[in-house]
Amino acid sequence: MDFAFLSETFFKLLAGFPLTVNLAVLSLAGGGVLALLLNMARASGWLGARFADFYVFLFRGSPLLIQIFLIYYGLGNFPAVRESFLWPFLREPYWCALLALILNDAAYTAEILRGGFRAVPRGAVEAAEACGMSRLTRLRRITLPVAIRQALPAYSNEVISMFKSTALASTVTLMEVTGIARAEVSATYRAIEIFLCAAVLYLVSTLLITRALRLLETRLSPWLAGNRA
Amino acid sequence: MSGLGVNGMGEPAIALRGIRKRFGDQEVLRGIDLAAHDGDVIALIGASGSGKSTLLRCIPMLEVPQAGEIFAAGERIALRDGQQKLDRAQQAAVQRMRTRLGFVFQSFNLWPHRTVLQNLIEAPVHVQGRPKAECIAEAEALLEKVGLAEKRDAWPAHLSGGQQQRVAIARALALKPRALLFDEPTSALDPELVGEVLKVIRGLAEEGRTMIIVTHEMGFAREVCNKAVFLHQGRIEEEGPPEQVFLDPRSDRARAFVSSHFNRNR
Amino acid sequence: MDYDWELLGFGPDGWGPVLLRAAGVTVAVSVTAFLLGVVLGTLCAWAKIGGNRPVRAAAEAYTVILRGIPDLLVIYLFYFGGRQVVAWAGGMLGLQGPFDISGFAAGAIAIGLISGAGQAEVFRGAYHAIPVGSLEAARVVGMRRFLMFRRIIAPQALSTAIPGLGNQWQSVIKESALVSVTGLVETMRQVTVAAGSTEMPFFFFAAGAVIYLIITSISGLVFKGAELWSQRGQAPARL
Repeated sequence: MDFAFLSETFFKLLAGFPLTVNLAVLSLAGGGVLALLLNMARASGWLGARFADFYVFLFRGSPLLIQIFLIYYGLGNFPAVRESFLWPFLREPYWCALLALILNDAAYTAEILRGGFRAVPRGAVEAAEACGMSRLTRLRRITLPVAIRQALPAYSNEVISMFKSTALASTVTLMEVTGIARAEVSATYRAIEIFLCAAVLYLVSTLLITRALRLLETRLSPWLAGNRA
Repeated sequence: MSGLGVNGMGEPAIALRGIRKRFGDQEVLRGIDLAAHDGDVIALIGASGSGKSTLLRCIPMLEVPQAGEIFAAGERIALRDGQQKLDRAQQAAVQRMRTRLGFVFQSFNLWPHRTVLQNLIEAPVHVQGRPKAECIAEAEALLEKVGLAEKRDAWPAHLSGGQQQRVAIARALALKPRALLFDEPTSALDPELVGEVLKVIRGLAEEGRTMIIVTHEMGFAREVCNKAVFLHQGRIEEEGPPEQVFLDPRSDRARAFVSSHFNRNR
Repeated sequence: MDYDWELLGFGPDGWGPVLLRAAGVTVAVSVTAFLLGVVLGTLCAWAKIGGNRPVRAAAEAYTVILRGIPDLLVIYLFYFGGRQVVAWAGGMLGLQGPFDISGFAAGAIAIGLISGAGQAEVFRGAYHAIPVGSLEAARVVGMRRFLMFRRIIAPQALSTAIPGLGNQWQSVIKESALVSVTGLVETMRQVTVAAGSTEMPFFFFAAGAVIYLIITSISGLVFKGAELWSQRGQAPARL
């Protein structure tokens, strides 16, 4: 075992870690907002519901990799895009990868949130109506908090999944952890050591995230603690 | 040697001796002796928690007692002191014994992924290894007998509780058992469905089948059994012919139990 | 921009035949990986349910590790790592390079391992959903472990597991796109090549996305059908 090489590699990979975290956090934040919007569209009526269905179908039915390529390589095909104010962003691999991750995460999160909404007891909403809460207050004070707590276990999986999905950003030249690992392998041909190093970095991160989310779950819904099968 | 199954009346179908069973630090059975000869119908009665269901479940070793000796359908399993697990020979004996006993559960326990007929032939074909055609013919006759011939190809979930329990009885009979064991066969049923199941069991008693029945249906028990056994806190408090146990029990506890149950039911 | 739809056709300039073939490769690598996942998932679920302490710990470690590492990295490890091992072994034997390993095999094994970890959880959940009484009824008629597994546990668990397995299969199809990094000419790789040589990336990546949508939709219908079939009789009859 070449420990000097391993530790050197580890620190090189660590340099990509902030970008990995950056992509994960922003895509989850953007995806979360978009998912909420999709659910509001769904609640708005027939057309909104069909739109949400179609959106989810598109982004869950095809691979994330092809979505990233479609945005990064494909959008530039359109003169309208190239001439728009968005082009300075859409020509950057960072923004393209982030956009693809956000759009993709929104589809999965929308479904999770939808499950959460469905699990909100009808009576809780009626009680809120009965004491005169407005629609928005009901959403903010009752429906959303209950739905989020219900959806949290499934959402924890989605967080982990997105954290791992950021690795795909490396396919459009981004130098996050996997990108750096890939470049180092091209330079040294020591694939096993380098990729294992990267794997350990991801594994430790996902384990810590899992632990943190589980703590959050018990904090938010103490009455459900210990009931997870 | 004074092992079980050797006495003047010929080999019993089922004989238990010194059965002890504890769950954690609670002793549920505190040394039970019981014998059922061919043609006997034994009613096991007692308050809930008296250990009667556990005792019944100890016969085919669904619960493994801590001590005692079980002789059933020609197989003997004697537990050694402090024995934690059954050894290989004992396990083999349990398997053989199980295929020669019929057990009817409180909650029917039909296999949900098999139709009624498939439930009946499952064990005869796959455990006893008998020819399928023969088993199907017998199963159809058994369904006829419990009055469910037309439900041959139905799924268990589509039947009422009473129908499910009648199928479960037919399933137990399909093994051609030496004896039948009933664990509160009507307790999970709506009151209006109890009668159809009791009728089937009564018919089996009239055929002279050997049965041990754990039940809360006192009127039925008294009418159908030739021997009643009253359990209290893991011991046999009183046993004898039904006239004695139900009408003139010697023990005060048995008297109190029987009178309260008859008052409630009649 | 006007598109020449004949590019997707089967004429002389059409990419139809190669795309169709590539879709076939996508399905083939997915099926191989999924079946490997079924085997690994079953073993792993069995280990978690019935294993002793070390066996359980090993199964637990397997699922935690494969669910904690990006899929792309697992594929890289198997493909480039595999090449490194083969080159090293070849060097030891005094053989001349260049050495290579099959992208299909490396990809299928990598995705199979990932899927196995997911399927293990599906199977474990399905086992625990079997009514206890159904197992007791099997024991009391004298069924032995293997017979009980084959006749009572497996059929019931499989029917409960079908929706979960459907999700796993959908994941496998989508993960199979990552195998394109090994140079295996499956759908993703093929549309990338077509996009490059025609300089029409949007058109061909969109076409690729549609191919995946078709595959996932058809599979979705198949699994839905299987679910309905397997649950025949399990739900109360609707009158």
